[in-house]
Amino acid sequence: MIPLLIANSLALASLLVMMSSGLALIYGLRDVINFGHGALYMLGAYIGYSIANVAGFWVALVVSPALLALVGAALEYLALRPLQRRSHIEVALVTLGLGIILGQALIFIYGGEARTVEAPPSLAGSVTVFRLTYPVYRLFLIGVGLGSCGLLALWLNFTTSGLHIRAVSQDPSVARMMGINSDRLSFLVTSLSAAFAGVAGVLAGPYLSVDPGMDVTMIVSCLIIVVIGGAGSIAGAIVAALLYGFVQVAGSVFLPDLAALAPYALLMVVLLVAPRGIGRGRAPA
Amino acid sequence: MNGEAAARVPVQRDALRAPTARAGWRIGAGAAALLAFGVGAVAPQYVASDFILKLADGGLLLGILALAIAFLMSQTGLVTIGAASVYGGVGYFFAIGMTEWDLSPLAAIAVSMVVVILYAAALGALIIRTTPLAFMMLTLAAGEMISHAVLLEGLRDYTSGADGLVVSFQGTLFGLESGDFTNAARFWAIVWTAAWVAGLAAWGVRRSRFGAVLRATRQNEERMRFSGFDTYAPRLAAFVFVNVIAGACGLLHVLNSGFVSPESLGLGVSTNALVAALIGGTATSAGPLVGGLIFAFAQDEFGARGFTQLLTGIAIVLFIVVFPGGVVGALDAFVRGMFRKRQQESD
Repeated sequence: MIPLLIANSLALASLLVMMSSGLALIYGLRDVINFGHGALYMLGAYIGYSIANVAGFWVALVVSPALLALVGAALEYLALRPLQRRSHIEVALVTLGLGIILGQALIFIYGGEARTVEAPPSLAGSVTVFRLTYPVYRLFLIGVGLGSCGLLALWLNFTTSGLHIRAVSQDPSVARMMGINSDRLSFLVTSLSAAFAGVAGVLAGPYLSVDPGMDVTMIVSCLIIVVIGGAGSIAGAIVAALLYGFVQVAGSVFLPDLAALAPYALLMVVLLVAPRGIGRGRAPA
Repeated sequence: MNGEAAARVPVQRDALRAPTARAGWRIGAGAAALLAFGVGAVAPQYVASDFILKLADGGLLLGILALAIAFLMSQTGLVTIGAASVYGGVGYFFAIGMTEWDLSPLAAIAVSMVVVILYAAALGALIIRTTPLAFMMLTLAAGEMISHAVLLEGLRDYTSGADGLVVSFQGTLFGLESGDFTNAARFWAIVWTAAWVAGLAAWGVRRSRFGAVLRATRQNEERMRFSGFDTYAPRLAAFVFVNVIAGACGLLHVLNSGFVSPESLGLGVSTNALVAALIGGTATSAGPLVGGLIFAFAQDEFGARGFTQLLTGIAIVLFIVVFPGGVVGALDAFVRGMFRKRQQESD
């Protein structure tokens, strides 16, 4: 029971981690919460669905994130950069509007019904680990989710560009004074975050389903996670995603009636104890 | 910021003119407003069809809710996306108060408004100190919690779950009968009056010392605290104020539709009101009201083709990027520009 619970919450958390670390990265550089991130995830999922039907799941897992990286670059050049002098809450609302437009366009193209994506044959079926029988695909999902998190942590902590990103996240003006080009970093980070959303979208296909409401569900979860984690803190976002996954899964097992309320209750409790979230985000300007 | 600085210039010019000229100007403006109020309350009943009036009723209700959001946004810099929970929740208390607790309509209104004030004060006390982003998320969270709570099995006897409640009252309320609220033409006069009351209240608060303290706190909270101002209580009071407006608006909505359902609590209502506020412009009190009307008519035009949400998305992007002051802000800037040009010519 308990190992299954932990495995399930890890599987959900893997998707959430990929999404919310991307959100936290953009927030760190641009001070903008990208409300359109859910729509990017949905775009990734639908592109993945189309490609998987033609060329198979593995091709989709490579091509969809690559295309999403281009969309992220467009977002940076067409929205975030021209609007960087505007109030940050306004830019966040612009991303909300862009997300709604993208989501509606996808519904217009693909129609309103839910689609399913088959897991590739090599990942179908179940395995038994420590007396727990578990679907292989979910193990793969956990592996990719936590693995990408690990890579992200290595990049941020052991490379020069990672150092610069952390510097800008902590104090944008001082970092710029030290000669860090935050525009170039923001381009890198926005494309990377969008690509992560693409990976999450493709991976979500066989695990959840590809449907018109997936963008809203995902962005609401991610926003809660980013706020719990302390806006801008990537480590905080990762911990918060794990916590959120556990609360969500445990809630639906033990208190099915109240499960829908569990994430909000978690948000309230965390923010009442630590108003700035659990991670060390940036001090407010 | 630049817009505000530019807007200050004509005010200084006014101040330099003789006091009698200013008093005359004020009396003229007051008379014009009174005339606009009177004509607006009566004329549409004779000119517009029932269908148009129904749309306009809904638009003005949305506008009042948008006014609440816009006031909080422009004065404190905080964005709430949970306004619908008060707007719809107050309807539930009104309905339950009359059917379950056998209250008179007036007592049920009093009870539901007291609940709104207590709820807003309690929630505000907890969340007003957080960052603007966290504030936005917490209002969303509180709103979603309430809209889920209405659907809980345990409360089904009171709220009827997803079916909603029928709301009607016997006797009279402020001298009006139940039918006055549900009739599109007669309700127009009511909602028009309510919009003026809410708009003037918000306008008055904006111009008061209290409004100045709010705006100063928005710009630099630390400096305000350093200067000896309390930065917590005024913002809490502002939060309660906008929730009272949202609650009163919700009561009107329930009296008009005769029905309250979980949809009226939902995120959709909150985002529509936010969009209406952006369309009209958040910086004035008239803006959101106009925005609500525009939104209602645009929604009727595009909604039939299933493009309501697309319209919402496009409106958000368009009005923030191209017309940041909204329709009313753009008109205001245009008129002021004309006025200044004429004055420069006469100088």
